[in-house]
Amino acid sequence: MWQALHEELEPLGLSVVTVALDLDPEKARPWIEAASPTHPSLIDSHHRVDELLGISNVPMAVWIDESGTLVRPAEGASIQPSPLAAMEITDEMPPRLQAVLREFKQMPQTGEAYRAAIVDWANLGADSRFVMSPDEVIAASQPRSAEHSRAAACFELGIHAESRGDHPAAIAWWKQAHALFPENWTYKRQAWTLESTADGAVSDKAQEVQDTYGTSWTDEFLATGGANYTVFPAL
Amino acid sequence: MLLSTLDVTADAFEAATGWSAKPEGMCKGDACVPVQSAVGPDGVIDVAAVADRLGMALLADDDAGVWAVGPESGGRALTTAVVPDIVLADVDGNPFNLSAMHGRKVLLVAWASW
Repeated sequence: MWQALHEELEPLGLSVVTVALDLDPEKARPWIEAASPTHPSLIDSHHRVDELLGISNVPMAVWIDESGTLVRPAEGASIQPSPLAAMEITDEMPPRLQAVLREFKQMPQTGEAYRAAIVDWANLGADSRFVMSPDEVIAASQPRSAEHSRAAACFELGIHAESRGDHPAAIAWWKQAHALFPENWTYKRQAWTLESTADGAVSDKAQEVQDTYGTSWTDEFLATGGANYTVFPAL
Repeated sequence: MLLSTLDVTADAFEAATGWSAKPEGMCKGDACVPVQSAVGPDGVIDVAAVADRLGMALLADDDAGVWAVGPESGGRALTTAVVPDIVLADVDGNPFNLSAMHGRKVLLVAWASW
């Protein structure tokens, strides 16, 4: 998907750069190799773009102009209609799945408009109506509290504990990070996906195996609501 | 930013946080915050003082003997619209500096396998 957009817009002077927030780069490798990207495809195992650019879920993107200045802050980066939002809800589905799909239908469907905005920017550059001034970009970025800073430090200490093989210590740090910055889904989804059930089943993409953290993606998604799941672009 | 010592050079601090020591104080892009004697004569940053002034959490993991510094806080996620030097590796470990993209528009997309 991103490779196709890159190929389309590269002649207009726009490059896609993808950054995988994966603690283990090998988890990202199959996806990268399947995409065969001709654009820079990078790994950010410490989630540095969270701190430096305000990323708080995936997929999210920022726009950077030719001089290295942000012209749009971190925002949800869907570029096509959500197939989940379009899915028909039937009585035969498990109730929790029905609830999740109802929340997907509550999400603003910004995919096609966001893609069109990127194409507009590629064509018009600074004259695109979607380009923000530096002050507008800063003001449109998300609030950053002392708790958020502390959450980032906790997340980092968790990564360090994990890297030295002390998984229980990592969990303790990550629980703190989650409590301090609940709106940051990258801290939660990254941690959840490392867990397994008591009988050894690994966490799946839906991140439903959550004995360790006492919560799950579905629990938190339903509590947050689809409309607050990411920073939807205001276009 | 993970630290094994609080004796950090100004260059290392800038590489990790985007904040550089200048005569007018600590600066990131076009934003500067006055900090008294942020850097000692040996080029070492006073991490505790800078972290306190910029609202950066400074946490110790005593068992592991390391510290972590969080990002600046008290305002917005972005202090400046100028993107700091960001160096990340590709999947094979080759470092790439985002500044190599200067002169082109960049759509930087964060994703994950999870």
